[in-house]
Amino acid sequence: MLIVSFQLVQPSTPEEAIRLLSRSAAGDIAVLGGGTDLLSDIEQARITPKQVLSLRNLPWRYFRWEGNSLVVGSTLPLRALELDPHVQRRLPGLWEAIRDVGSPALRSRATLGGNLGRCSPASDLIPILLALDARARIVGPSGVREHPIDIVLQESRRTSLGPAELIESVILPSSAPSAYLWQRVQPVNDISQVGVAAAFVPEGPHWRIALGGLQPRARRLSEAEAMLRSARPTHLEMELAAQEAARRAEFVSDKRATESYRRRLVTVLVRRAIQTTLDRMPKAAHPRKAAS
Amino acid sequence: MSDGPLTLTINGKPQQFERVPDAERLLDTLRWRAGLKGTKEGCRTGGCGACTVLVNGEPTLSCLVLSHEVSGENVTTIEGVAAEKVGRIVIRAFAEAGAVQCGYCTPGFVVALAGQLQGDGTPPSVASLLDGLEGNLCRCTGYRAIQKAVVAAREALK
Repeated sequence: MLIVSFQLVQPSTPEEAIRLLSRSAAGDIAVLGGGTDLLSDIEQARITPKQVLSLRNLPWRYFRWEGNSLVVGSTLPLRALELDPHVQRRLPGLWEAIRDVGSPALRSRATLGGNLGRCSPASDLIPILLALDARARIVGPSGVREHPIDIVLQESRRTSLGPAELIESVILPSSAPSAYLWQRVQPVNDISQVGVAAAFVPEGPHWRIALGGLQPRARRLSEAEAMLRSARPTHLEMELAAQEAARRAEFVSDKRATESYRRRLVTVLVRRAIQTTLDRMPKAAHPRKAAS
Repeated sequence: MSDGPLTLTINGKPQQFERVPDAERLLDTLRWRAGLKGTKEGCRTGGCGACTVLVNGEPTLSCLVLSHEVSGENVTTIEGVAAEKVGRIVIRAFAEAGAVQCGYCTPGFVVALAGQLQGDGTPPSVASLLDGLEGNLCRCTGYRAIQKAVVAAREALK
């Protein structure tokens, strides 16, 4: 029943975790968050670490609001965010994306830090985190640093973190009307062929569009964003943004969908994601309505 | 490479196991060491819900949990759920609705539903209960009867 073996280490302080990581040769140690992705890689022998370092006992299972910012400890199960009504109200796109990860029982283990650390091109969380300008607080042997996740993420299973660095928390700087839409073969327990996040953030440029399902990973599409010139874009602007997104996205064909199908999906989903975000704007914040 | 003793509280009883490998999953510990075969192995990748158990009351996929990670915690399997009032009501609702075809997915469904129905007060809405079961797959596709069982179990507990 067991074909793999490794030693499980469960440090209870960040310092101890960093020390253990510093002492190990690269490839010998794997970092375990919720385990919903990593354990499959180990069981299928895609990686063969000698040690697995679990973050479960670190004091990072929290979230808190700091003014308009939401700070999420990297090992907090996603389910805790999903069950919070403030998260749903203030960051609807994030809430939606979280609900699209696996199933409720899976989300009681899966973590935000793990999702970033694994950096799957099909991640349902990375597009909305990019659209919301999320930042990662990173701890390591040389102290603490904080970067936009756009700088931290590289490609599937690879980040710019040093070998002994860990994501301590993820910071979402401001509440924002936002939406996350996807296309899959089956709605639950499946991986998205394409994911589209849209957000209208307080700091300009206001409109953010990010796509998932791309190689090497999800990214913001500033070319599409540039088509949206006001808080309330016209139908033509939305259509142009959708077409620009489809043209610029680096899609490939793989087992989940062909490149051309993905492009077709994006033209529809980008438009819908913008419209959904518009529908979620507080009524008074609608510039046109406020003016009339 | 490494193994050590493991203590789990399974269905209310503390149990100790000797020499449990660090890489062992909770699913395997429950089935092969504790002998509780009600918890089923389906996909083993977190995609089907057949192995659902309660860890500290919360529905959890036992195929994705390392046993040593939940050392000392409370694990409730279908056998434990079936011995409690809520579990008995859920099982009866499944039986009366004919919500069991081949039966392989049934323990996962029952545990995931009972986990949501535990606790005092008004039970969650039917929509919320069904949301909670969205990760449980029935390959016989007997979902209509399962939905009926959910409604009936909720009514019985109101």
